[in-house]
Amino acid sequence: MPDWAGPVARYILEEGLPVTLRISAVAVVGSAVIGIVLGTLLTIEFVLSRAIIRLYVEVFRGLPILVTVFMVYFGLPAINNALEFDAITATSIALILWGSAQVAEATRGAVQSIPREQHEAAAALGFGWVGRHRSVILPQAFRRLLPPFVSLLVNIIQNSTLAAVIGGIELLQAAKSQTERLTFFPPAGIGEIHAFEILAFVALIFFLISFPLTRLAAYLEKRMVV
Amino acid sequence: MPVATYDLWAFVSENWRELLDALVNTIKVSALAIAGAFAIGLTLGAARAHRIPVVSQITAVYVEIIRNTPILVQIFMLFFALPQAGIRLDGFTTAWLSVMLWGGAFNSENFRAGFEAVPKRYREAGLALGFSPLATFFNVTLPIGGRISLPSSINTYISVVKKTSLMYVIGYPELTTTAINIANLTLETLEALTVLGIVYLTLVWSLSASIRVLESRLALPEERS
Repeated sequence: MPDWAGPVARYILEEGLPVTLRISAVAVVGSAVIGIVLGTLLTIEFVLSRAIIRLYVEVFRGLPILVTVFMVYFGLPAINNALEFDAITATSIALILWGSAQVAEATRGAVQSIPREQHEAAAALGFGWVGRHRSVILPQAFRRLLPPFVSLLVNIIQNSTLAAVIGGIELLQAAKSQTERLTFFPPAGIGEIHAFEILAFVALIFFLISFPLTRLAAYLEKRMVV
Repeated sequence: MPVATYDLWAFVSENWRELLDALVNTIKVSALAIAGAFAIGLTLGAARAHRIPVVSQITAVYVEIIRNTPILVQIFMLFFALPQAGIRLDGFTTAWLSVMLWGGAFNSENFRAGFEAVPKRYREAGLALGFSPLATFFNVTLPIGGRISLPSSINTYISVVKKTSLMYVIGYPELTTTAINIANLTLETLEALTVLGIVYLTLVWSLSASIRVLESRLALPEERS
């Protein structure tokens, strides 16, 4: 190991990794909560609510996530100064907008795949709409949602690198700034370019996190089919 | 701070030439990448479905690397790390190459799933009729499996179009880069974002509408009603 590698790796792991994990955790929880609610509401036969949610889903699934990030980071403050967010928060919000649209669509499919009889039986037992969905329908739908959830988590972890585009320090931005630092003359740097090694290190971290998760998603999907 | 007023029409009429060039660049990069992703997906997907030794294993490694690392890291690798090895790619090459490699990996999974969904007895019937393995692939497996994988591969192409926006990080003047750069000069942020939203949604929505049209057009005879 060359001398420069230690401090670079430490900076990436200590400054970058926790932020990547934090963005991902916030985004996946936010996406799940909002997406499940919107997806369940999408199954109600009320034209107005359905049209609004459908538009939300189609817009945020259709836009490149980077454009959504720009909308949150540059667009919202241009509308109102109070809506100014730092890069990490803005990326998390954009990922929630995109992720909740994905979850809503998956939830709609899962809820509609539950047989009518389940609704009717629950209604006959005296459950109202909310109780019926919370206690009977969603727990069953959730099993079908598990594989897409794991895939979503992988996608969110990888897309958290978009924060780097607007300067938020996560794994990729940490790697970028360390690469730049090394090109400076001593004492700040060593006047050398090590972009490949540093990027490969970051790619490896992402791989080590994502690979078990994609395997898990594939396994869950296979188990669902049976 | 200057008081900005929202005027979409003025923004478009002052910058339409640049925006149009940018849109052409987006479409050019997307078209090249989609064509490449189709070719990669078809060949490698077929190789994996037929379990051709060596090629299958190499494909598996390629697919897992692309799928499990962020595409931004891949773009950075091509644009900032390759020069270290003496390979310098310009913005345009990096743009189509990176999304093509990304789309090709996902597409080879799409095609593999499609080919594997073709019942084995169809292939055996083709071979029994005296078709060579290659002729069986082109006359039996491809027409049936290709149709099965069509919706998922079009979804991959839609993602390819959306991913071209990431070329902002290397400054290649496609739509996103151009619109944001104009906005940085003129402070017409909201107008630029509106244009981006409208153009991308038009591209993406019309591509996904094409899935439905193609699906009904290309449906297998027994599925037609």
